Amino acid sequence: MSKQAASARFRRVDVDEYDENKFVDEEDGGENQLGPDEAEVDSLIRQGNLMEALHAVLKNPPINTKNQNVKDRAEGLVLKVLSSFKSSDIEKGVQSLDKNGVDLLMKYIYKGFERPSENSSAVLLQWHEKALAAGGVGSIVRVLTARKTV
Amino acid sequence: MSPFLNTTLRPYLNAVRATLQAALCLENFSSQVVERHNKPEVEVRSSKELLLQPVVISRNDKEKVLIEGSINSVRVSIAVKQADEIEKILCHKFMRFMMMRAENFFILRRKPVEGYDINVQTQAGGLRHPLHGGNRQGDQRDETVRQRQGPYRC
Repeated sequence: MSKQAASARFRRVDVDEYDENKFVDEEDGGENQLGPDEAEVDSLIRQGNLMEALHAVLKNPPINTKNQNVKDRAEGLVLKVLSSFKSSDIEKGVQSLDKNGVDLLMKYIYKGFERPSENSSAVLLQWHEKALAAGGVGSIVRVLTARKTV
Repeated sequence: MSPFLNTTLRPYLNAVRATLQAALCLENFSSQVVERHNKPEVEVRSSKELLLQPVVISRNDKEKVLIEGSINSVRVSIAVKQADEIEKILCHKFMRFMMMRAENFFILRRKPVEGYDINVQTQAGGLRHPLHGGNRQGDQRDETVRQRQGPYRC
């Protein structure tokens, strides 16, 4: 029988790509998110106003942006604020946050664990303990199930 | 060993415990890709929507735990502290000893993930008959199989 001259390229098609039920992560345009304002946070730390610095650094989380530098900078800034707290003040700092703030704090804490430096893990572990007391296991579950992370 | 180092052990273990409590929320989930198969999604990684964010808890740069979750399985990778050459050798040999006998341990993985020393992996509904695939619903079915094959064929 004569062989079809038509190509057999249909065999190379990845059928799963065209499945209409296929799960695709939403791509929010996040190019404008710059992360927390560095100058503001630095000045608040220097003034010693740590509560305000905590609130300021948790504003504008770079969740949607794909730019890794922005995320790294934000993480560094958060770590700086968290390290400048005294151990006895950590609990008050966590209490001053609302539920979303605690969730965001948990995200930053886990992000910070990925790159341990000098003393960072010890500080982060203290914050983790207090944030866990405030947010419960639910806050950890929300970190695990978040599609977009900080 | 500075006295400060000892004070991170308890918070470290508590943090790992809490994270495991959150991640070990598993349900039986048959494979979406192959029918009648039940695979640990954290190992197969076939569908993005079934996987959770992997999370690290570190005590310092040498000791950390990586917890990867999914809908039906969880993988915990542990990096053990190895201070010097002799500890590295001992750790490596001990882990190898255990991992070679992973079949008897059921929840051990034969090869550790890159960068870690040992892996513990568990799957919802997948433990009792590692050689039988298919639907996990069957205390009754398992009993029939056991009767056919005898109590020691597991």
